[in-house]
Amino acid sequence: MNSKIQRSLAVVSAAALVFGVSAVSPAMASKHKTIYLAFQAPLTGSNALTGQDELTAARFALSEYNATNPAIKVELVIADDQGLAEVAAVVAPGIASNKKIIGLIGPAFSGATQASLPAYKATGLPLISMSATRVSLTDRKAPVNGFPIFKRVVANDKFQGPALARYATKGIASPSVYLVDDKTAYGKGLADYTKPSVLKIATLAGSDSVPENTSDYTSVVAKVKASGANVVIYCGYAPDAAKFVKALRDGGYTGIFAAGDGVLKATFPNNAGNTAAEGARLTAADVPFEDVATAAQMVAYTKLTGIKIPGSYVTSTYNATNIFLTCIKQGVTTRPGMQNCVTAGSFKGIAGDTIRFDRYGDIIGGAAVGAFTIKAGKITYLGVA
Amino acid sequence: MNLQVLESQFWSLCLQGVALGFIYVLISLGYTMVYGVLRLINFANSEVFMVGTFATVVAQVGILQNQTNSQSLHGFRLIYTLLFALVFSMLICGFLGILVELVAYRRLRSLGNNRLASLISAIAVSIVLLETTRIITYSRPQTSPRLLDKWSFGEFAGANFRIDTVMVIVSGVVIFFTLDRFVTKTRLGKAIRAVSMSEEISKLMGINLNRVVALTFFIGGLTTGAAAFFYTTVYETTQFNVGFNLGLAAFTTAVLGGIGNLRGAFYGGIFLGVLEQFASAILGSQWKSVTVFTVLVLVLLLKPNGIFGEAVQQTRT
Repeated sequence: MNSKIQRSLAVVSAAALVFGVSAVSPAMASKHKTIYLAFQAPLTGSNALTGQDELTAARFALSEYNATNPAIKVELVIADDQGLAEVAAVVAPGIASNKKIIGLIGPAFSGATQASLPAYKATGLPLISMSATRVSLTDRKAPVNGFPIFKRVVANDKFQGPALARYATKGIASPSVYLVDDKTAYGKGLADYTKPSVLKIATLAGSDSVPENTSDYTSVVAKVKASGANVVIYCGYAPDAAKFVKALRDGGYTGIFAAGDGVLKATFPNNAGNTAAEGARLTAADVPFEDVATAAQMVAYTKLTGIKIPGSYVTSTYNATNIFLTCIKQGVTTRPGMQNCVTAGSFKGIAGDTIRFDRYGDIIGGAAVGAFTIKAGKITYLGVA
Repeated sequence: MNLQVLESQFWSLCLQGVALGFIYVLISLGYTMVYGVLRLINFANSEVFMVGTFATVVAQVGILQNQTNSQSLHGFRLIYTLLFALVFSMLICGFLGILVELVAYRRLRSLGNNRLASLISAIAVSIVLLETTRIITYSRPQTSPRLLDKWSFGEFAGANFRIDTVMVIVSGVVIFFTLDRFVTKTRLGKAIRAVSMSEEISKLMGINLNRVVALTFFIGGLTTGAAAFFYTTVYETTQFNVGFNLGLAAFTTAVLGGIGNLRGAFYGGIFLGVLEQFASAILGSQWKSVTVFTVLVLVLLLKPNGIFGEAVQQTRT
């Protein structure tokens, strides 16, 4: 009921992004040279959870960097696009026109990214997205693609979709799949790239698009039961997946439940009820942060953010932020310099992996898609899907 | 179009639709009571519902010390816990309703009849509640423990009469008819109806307008709080934005039945719940909203005051 007002507030926010950096940043007055990175994700509205999780990672990476007392301090300019294309289109010009910003972590959502691209391309602002997985963003032939400024540290749906279909049906005799997405750009996109593989290796018993934030999944459960499916693949985010799998189990469904990286969140098993989530098969290019961070980093992360269990895309956001920070450490202080550094450079991810981007912005070799399952209420990494 | 689902799931969809409908009914009473008296939409009601869902979790986990992964309860402890959480949620929402009235409506009402200002102030309160909860909860969903083991009374033609489904329907009926009797039979209820019909004449008859309006918000909050408890008990999860979709559905319910009309909200809620279930099952969930709002527009074209807007005018709040 208040989304229109929230969108109007975005206009005000956009103005603040153009004029407000010096006003909001006390670091400007210090003797250190300060450089600005922007962060764009949904921080309010119905998709705020994703953006807020990602913001913790960017802040943490920055705190680690600034704690080394570098010659160039880095500050974050935070932009809230609510994960909505129409809001992003208003917010992006504000960031783009602020010349003090030399790189942008994000945007988080594919639709918002697409809407932001014209403003960023026009001003040559390099972007590294931590979670925008829509294939067209790095497809040179697509009418709206991110070349040359857009990069991403997450596997796109072209890789994850087939891996999800393979992993979901692995070891199942005569797999019959019910495919459900959440109607978001992410969920629908992943489902579109999962479906062809499902058709190749299994029977498609049915499909449905259930809007994000739906409370009641009983009608979908009724359809799954009527279809006789023994595998349900869900393409959406963890909060809805938790409700859906719980409804499936309460409704008497005993088959496989599988989902993509949007569901790979440490809180998922608990929110779904450990019994309902047990055995769920999940894929992701984003490794849970607590699995790759050191114990000291986890303590520092919790101290900084107040969060004990990091959410989704925390690892990829941490990596994206550190790519920019690595370039700044090398002396980069301008947008063109950052564009060259990110495009040509080779970077280390927190898991020890090497990150290099191809010409159109995807990680060279494709980010590996991992297979996870829920064992005794915990997400367990099994290997490559 | 998937008609095959009806062969085995027809009665299941009906039952689940009615149960969902009763949650809509209870929330929509919060809208319809206020509209009946003030002729204004209480846009903060969706966030009152959201606060109620968190109040339920606080009662179960924070106050009664049940862990989110604890075993289901039985006997007296179960009844005590559920009743405590229900009453706690209802009271929190009831008093929050009064607070909303004080902050968003009373002062503006006393200064004149600027309906747009009241509307915006209600939306402002709604945003404050929403964003405050988001900040406090770090945008994370909160899980309610499964205190009520979801055993079944049995199956009828594929419809599973689970304890939580039956509880929502039976409690919804009891709460609705209690409220209906309160409004039609008691002195306070008659005062609410009198204000609903004419503020000026009510004042001349000695009715304390502010008290009646506050009471209306309180009662609307109570039913919304009950809905929040049932929602949390059935779905076992909540989130800062849970009120948006539920609030929209409840508002639709109120308009469909005839806003300002208690019995309209009752039938509208059940109709909407069942319609949503069948639209999702037959046409696909992506068509649910299209179907619901197409039906709403058609109903309003034929009956601008909603299905029961005129028929049961006597019982209007």
